[in-house]
Amino acid sequence: MIVSHNELVSVVNKAFLGMRRSCGEADVIANMVAGLQIVGLNGIGHFNNAAQFLTAEKDSPVDIFITNEGGLVVDLHGCSLACHLPVVIDYALEKMVGKKHLTIELKNCHNRWLAYNELVKLAAKGLACKAQWNNGSSPQNTLYILNQGCVSPELFLSDHLDLAGRTLHDMTIQLSVKNFDIAGYSAGYTKHIKSSALNNAQRDTWYEGISVDDEEWEVLKRTATALLVENSEQSVKGAGELV
Amino acid sequence: MDARPSTCGGTYMRDPVTVMAPERLGAMHQNRISFVRSLIRKMAQQKWQVTKHDWQLSAEGFGHVIYKLTTLNHIYHLVIFCDEIADEDRNDRVIAEKWDVTFALVYGDVDVDLLSRLRTNVPLQEAGRNPNKVLVLARANKSVRVFEHLVSHLAKGQQPNAKELAEVGYILRTTAVYGNGKFGIADFGWLETTEDFNQSFSAQMCAVYILREFSLDWVHYLAQQQGGDKAVNLDLGLQRYLGIGNATGLGMAPYLINHPCVVDQWLSSRESALTAVLNAAVEVHKLAPLQHLLQKGLCHLEQIITINEHQDDLNNTAITELHDLLSNLDSLLIQSHSLLPQMKTWSELIDYASKYSLETQEILLSCLMELYPALVDNYETKMNCDESLNLPSGKRIEDLLAVLQSRYRWAIETDFKQPENNYWFWYRSQDKEEPRLGVRGEEPGEDRELPLDIGRQANRLYHALLICKPNMQLAEFLVLHPQYRAISRRVWTLGNKQMGEIQMNVLHQKSLPMHLLRCKLAVLGATKFDPRSERWVRVTFFQGAPLLNELHDGEWLFPLLPSNALNQAVLEGEVS
Repeated sequence: MIVSHNELVSVVNKAFLGMRRSCGEADVIANMVAGLQIVGLNGIGHFNNAAQFLTAEKDSPVDIFITNEGGLVVDLHGCSLACHLPVVIDYALEKMVGKKHLTIELKNCHNRWLAYNELVKLAAKGLACKAQWNNGSSPQNTLYILNQGCVSPELFLSDHLDLAGRTLHDMTIQLSVKNFDIAGYSAGYTKHIKSSALNNAQRDTWYEGISVDDEEWEVLKRTATALLVENSEQSVKGAGELV
Repeated sequence: MDARPSTCGGTYMRDPVTVMAPERLGAMHQNRISFVRSLIRKMAQQKWQVTKHDWQLSAEGFGHVIYKLTTLNHIYHLVIFCDEIADEDRNDRVIAEKWDVTFALVYGDVDVDLLSRLRTNVPLQEAGRNPNKVLVLARANKSVRVFEHLVSHLAKGQQPNAKELAEVGYILRTTAVYGNGKFGIADFGWLETTEDFNQSFSAQMCAVYILREFSLDWVHYLAQQQGGDKAVNLDLGLQRYLGIGNATGLGMAPYLINHPCVVDQWLSSRESALTAVLNAAVEVHKLAPLQHLLQKGLCHLEQIITINEHQDDLNNTAITELHDLLSNLDSLLIQSHSLLPQMKTWSELIDYASKYSLETQEILLSCLMELYPALVDNYETKMNCDESLNLPSGKRIEDLLAVLQSRYRWAIETDFKQPENNYWFWYRSQDKEEPRLGVRGEEPGEDRELPLDIGRQANRLYHALLICKPNMQLAEFLVLHPQYRAISRRVWTLGNKQMGEIQMNVLHQKSLPMHLLRCKLAVLGATKFDPRSERWVRVTFFQGAPLLNELHDGEWLFPLLPSNALNQAVLEGEVS
């Protein structure tokens, strides 16, 4: 079915608020989901997946360690990246002052596709970004490169799993004041989603609406009902009717 | 006026503490850059054409009607469905499921397939799904009393009783007008890129304006059906006097809290326009038009009939004060030019008027804005904004504390340990997700409280920041306390805007959501505020506006009964 951007953002916002988490911002997460959905990358599916576990996850700050090289290692304690990435990026940007390059190693995290929209924002700050993660299911290896001045990233996917010291619940983000060599880093990946295709998909949604999977949409709407309070005599009076 | 004006650089500008006080926002009136006014100006200047495209009503007035709107750039259609409903189904609440009239403003042509889809879905409103060619989805109910009175009189060749019209002011009353992507329709993000409806709420207002024409066409059609050759049309003055009613409840209040940048933009633009006027030199030739407008405002208040005693008292006070102002205006302004030259700019008249009630002050402000189209009208295109809430890099605890101390005193000086400051909680009910207010500790739903408590959140942030080192990086603080990132973004963003937040603790026992409703309704351009309780108000839109066949970009502030009708009513002792 087709939904509007406002409708999607509004439902995710309510769904997240209904989880009563202290870490994570409903409006930011709603835009993470919408940002992914409007380029055709199943934002709702990723959020629904996250929603199954969010209420049971630890709801506390991340731990950040600074490596000898000045990079950051962030332990998310098995939590969704959606709830913590904005804080980590803010911190990383502070630590990058005076540097040309910064590596952020995110450990023990989930829902890494939801980083898509937050990383897109970095281009507006004049930074290039490269992110990489492995997954237990297909596609098993994802590379995200967004160079300066670009609106959407180049995405590379592969089912070839090369852990190379990484686990299935980590993500590496590199920030740089110089562009990344797309051809060099993407060698060996079997599928390429071009930024131009993502741009086109995004543009078309304004005219045609956002295509969503009916079942995923119903799941999302059900999640959003957790915020609603049962009708009562008092709630009817609370609407302001003359009684 | 307790405006606490800034006179820095010789420019008079009111302080956000004054402008964003809820009581003052709750006294606002329509002005030149209210959305209905901007829309009518644009329609007149660009010569938009509206024609009856398809009229498929039964003799009883049920069926569908389509109006075609042609602008310089595109065509649109307003598709209206009229259904027979039982009196007991006619309910102004959002939870209603049937309406006399449902309608949709559609981009482009309406072919048979689309009409069929609209016929199936538009009457269902929230329960339907519409294509994203639909820009506006809305519904309305008849004022049965006015509707039947008009049809029966016009059918017999008689004009209606002015009292019947004065008490209501409309034939149809909308109970929700949806835009911006609601229930699958087009997003404003797309409309904003177009020429015709790129201003906030302009598509919604246009749909309502064409509905007003339909309401008149509808009663004329039915009068003709019933009276045949005997039937007459409604007096033109009375046609202009009738607008479209609107019933607005609590549901509107969270919009103003959840869209703080939009509210800031609206009030900042109005304030900038007003500042340009208030800094203009007093001109004697403006005296007569100002007196005329104030007199209209006074008569408008006299003609408002409201069941709300508080609003009635406010109106009566303003009537007395406007008489006083009018009796002194001549000497005030002439003295300023000859005997007492101290009144050089309009700001001094505003200072003089600070002794009056907020209702009177706001009427004066709207009248003054009306006198200076050249200074004001440019701001009509400055009502949209970027809604993102951002924290820039490089900020420290002391930077955010400074913003809180300068712009959020209303929040940080509130003692939220006092029960009265935490009295209410906001929640959404299962009834069509309508927002509600519940009493904390007494009513169910506190565990699902909506985060509309901006003052309390800002207060908690302030106290959390106070125990940190002032030079600590904000980013580091937020790593340790991520729960404060959302309110930090908001405080920083709004604290650095011209007008910023509405300075209202919505949890306070005596806080009045009505102030929020009135503020937004005035920005939209509503008139005739008739509160039905502290949480629900009836207003009219386009009352006094030019009809479609006489569109003009002139002044139509404060709707009045046409003088012949008014004389009739006064003679009959029916209105004051």
